[in-house]
Amino acid sequence: MFKTTTGSSRRGRRAFSGVVALSLLTGVLVSCSSSSGGAGGTLTFLTNAESWTHADPNRNYTGQHIAWFGSFMHRTLTAYARAEGAAGSEVVADLATDTGRASNGNKTWEFTLRDGAKFEDGSDITCEDIKYGVSRTFATDVITDGPAYALSMLDIPKAADGSSVYKGPYKTDGNDTAAYDKAVTCSEDNKTITFNLSRAVGDFNYTVTYLSFSPVPKAKDTGDQYDLAPVSSGPYKIEKYKPKDEMVLVRNENWSKDSDPIRNAYPDKIVVRFGVAEEVRDQLILNDSEPAAMSLDGILPTNLATIFNEDGTPKEEWKGRALNVYDPYVTYTAVNVGKVPCVQVRKAIYYARDFAALQQLGGGAAFGGDPADGVIKPLMGLDYKPVTGLEDFKPEGNAEKAQALMAEAKTACPDVFAKATGAGLTFDVGDTDTNKKAATIWIDSVKKNAGINLKFNFIEPGQYYAVVLDPTKQGDLSRAGWAPDWANASTVIPELFLEGAGFPLSNVGKDPAYAEFKQRAEANLSQSDRKKQGEEWAALNQYVMDQMWVIPGVFSKTQEMWGSKLEGVFFWEPQGAPSFGDIKIKS
Amino acid sequence: MINYLARRIAISMAILLAVSFAVYLIFAILPFDPAALTCGKNCNNPAIIEANRRRLGYDLPIWQQYFVFLKGLFMGRTFGEGAATIFCPAPSFGYSYQEHACVTNSIIEALPVTLSLAIGALVLWLIIGVGLGILAARFRGRAADTGSTIFVLIGTSLPTFLTGLLLLVFVVVKWRILPYPSGNYTPLFENPLAWLNTMILPWITLAFAYAALYTRFVRNAVIETLSEDFIRTARAKGLSEKVVLRKHTLRAALAPLTTMAGLDFAGLLGGAILTEAVFNLPGLGRLSLGAVIDFDLPIIVATTILAATIVIFMNLLVDILYAFIDPRVRVAA
Repeated sequence: MFKTTTGSSRRGRRAFSGVVALSLLTGVLVSCSSSSGGAGGTLTFLTNAESWTHADPNRNYTGQHIAWFGSFMHRTLTAYARAEGAAGSEVVADLATDTGRASNGNKTWEFTLRDGAKFEDGSDITCEDIKYGVSRTFATDVITDGPAYALSMLDIPKAADGSSVYKGPYKTDGNDTAAYDKAVTCSEDNKTITFNLSRAVGDFNYTVTYLSFSPVPKAKDTGDQYDLAPVSSGPYKIEKYKPKDEMVLVRNENWSKDSDPIRNAYPDKIVVRFGVAEEVRDQLILNDSEPAAMSLDGILPTNLATIFNEDGTPKEEWKGRALNVYDPYVTYTAVNVGKVPCVQVRKAIYYARDFAALQQLGGGAAFGGDPADGVIKPLMGLDYKPVTGLEDFKPEGNAEKAQALMAEAKTACPDVFAKATGAGLTFDVGDTDTNKKAATIWIDSVKKNAGINLKFNFIEPGQYYAVVLDPTKQGDLSRAGWAPDWANASTVIPELFLEGAGFPLSNVGKDPAYAEFKQRAEANLSQSDRKKQGEEWAALNQYVMDQMWVIPGVFSKTQEMWGSKLEGVFFWEPQGAPSFGDIKIKS
Repeated sequence: MINYLARRIAISMAILLAVSFAVYLIFAILPFDPAALTCGKNCNNPAIIEANRRRLGYDLPIWQQYFVFLKGLFMGRTFGEGAATIFCPAPSFGYSYQEHACVTNSIIEALPVTLSLAIGALVLWLIIGVGLGILAARFRGRAADTGSTIFVLIGTSLPTFLTGLLLLVFVVVKWRILPYPSGNYTPLFENPLAWLNTMILPWITLAFAYAALYTRFVRNAVIETLSEDFIRTARAKGLSEKVVLRKHTLRAALAPLTTMAGLDFAGLLGGAILTEAVFNLPGLGRLSLGAVIDFDLPIIVATTILAATIVIFMNLLVDILYAFIDPRVRVAA
């Protein structure tokens, strides 16, 4: 999933997603549960955001929100194990009795529901409820923002305009409901759901960890307004939800631990306070005025020095109350290859920029992140291999290398060379203060070290992705960030570079190197040997960097803090967020 | 008087109509595609954008969109189909897919918050501003005058967001004089004490800034009036200084204050954006701010019309009040 243009979005929310991670790499201490606490108490969350982006499970797409709602309210067919480190990336059965059974060369997946799982009103959760929930994601005009995996994976024909012939459960005419009923079927006892896919998907059981595969009772669906009052299938239900004010969750008496082996339900009550001013939010935790509270947002840069040492580790008094870890994101600058069809110019920009100054602006290595060498993070384990061929990279910029590449470009691609050194290349960024400061670093260093002129196009953050995802409006370079949707680079490499995929900012379709890439990436999507698949993703990451389809930024970091009465907090790596459901209040 | 009022109300309605159409036109001219802002991460799919455009009526000509909007004001409006159908009864300003609510309902929820903030702050700043202004003028050049000058300097220099933040951080977080409000806004009739706890700091924040301006204004107006001929006459008649000040000076000096207070109050009702944001008050200011950031056209149109209505109404009210306060206005009418 993509990163917001500001790092945190308009309402303060932050997007995360899953990665396989090695906590040893993070170099930070994460508090471990000492089990001195237990059930009871009120757990409070503070956020500057005015509301949840979405509370409707089918519209939830950010890792933090999935972690939160997945811990307290919404169940799915499968889920990630609640464990620290790489163990947390193991997929386990949730509503299903197992992690799914594939057949037909990974094109058919079957899940059987466990007994005793109920909604908050006491009704049983059935196959039809899951099927109905998934069907809502096809109503793209009402159920907006959610992941589109069901649309792209289920075996449902496309209309002439490229949209699905099935338009979701609300459309009253011109809707091919039969196509959906064929793609998703329920057994006679309403306990087993079968998904028929249009292509082989070896990790579909990871896909269904998304809340977009959660059950929704048809009788309670209110379309867009379901976002304010979703029906719970988890240990808590909504007592009050008022955006710009607060959300209060209380225990769901129809939830049973017997039918839910993975969730804990420690506090009696959970409160989320929205719209807390950023400085006030930080001060409430820093002063421990709210000892049973946790901030849902990043820490203000001005307060980092109070909590962390210069190397990014928590100070002695903050051990067990704060963490500084790698989040799942890689930031990068996508080069619009269709407009900059010259690998030498693309590489010259990479070598010419003053990375050290840009990194410092982003919080330095301790808080901002380390130099990225591609679009796959080392935390991805199987799918990552250090990229070679970038040995001439110098943090402060390598003028000699950049100029040599530009000399090559002058003869290899004179048109692009003339444009880059003449009228200049257009660089799209969100209109934020940080981006404006970064722009001056880019302009100065790239001009000085490579003779390339950059013209910045500052776009209002709320409009940013609508503009850059439109090929007719996109400039030559665009800032972005991406995190895998689950622990497989199948949600990175194809999503970023295959034509017609989710986030194709580099527009590589016309590049001579694309044909080979396409063939290898598509073949690897169907690869059932996970080890071989990982090796090929790493090789394709190298391929991408050889073509310099993106100019990598940083493997970014995030910081979290909480009050002194909380324990059991750990970073849930597959969701890139704290494991909210394991937090206890000390007795 | 009735003719005058009828004429003013008719003109006000025409202005409101023009304002609402102007807002529609502005958004039609801007180089943004409202349909492309409705589908979030899936907006790279043209089919989804087009479907949303049809659903929200953005495919219609702008005059037709405006007509549908006007019709909704009187007859209500239905959005969506099937289980996703939403009906917003009249007066319908539309449906906000960001707020997941009929716009009229969002405004009805936000208005009491802003009213609480504006009325409380107005009372506070009038008491402080007028009181200090009179004191400063009465004791010109003495300690009270110097003190009020310092107050004015600080009050006009500190931006409201900083005053608010300082109050919150020190009074609530560090010194813990007031508890952090358990919810973010409690209605007056639900729990008066909690309401007071929520509103007291925002009132002080706003009143601090406005009272400084009013202190300076009242001081100057009183000093100027004290030098008028009719004051000299009053003194020559042997009236006591108290009577001269209360009955003659203040009445003349404070008449222009009514206009100022009326317009400032109207401005606040449109939304004290910064104060509402710092104190997390879900009023009209935050509603408008969120709508602008999200490009939520129905809310922007509604809040703009509401703000215009308030300003027009307050102007009317001030004109009427003037007639009562200043006899010269009555004579002219």
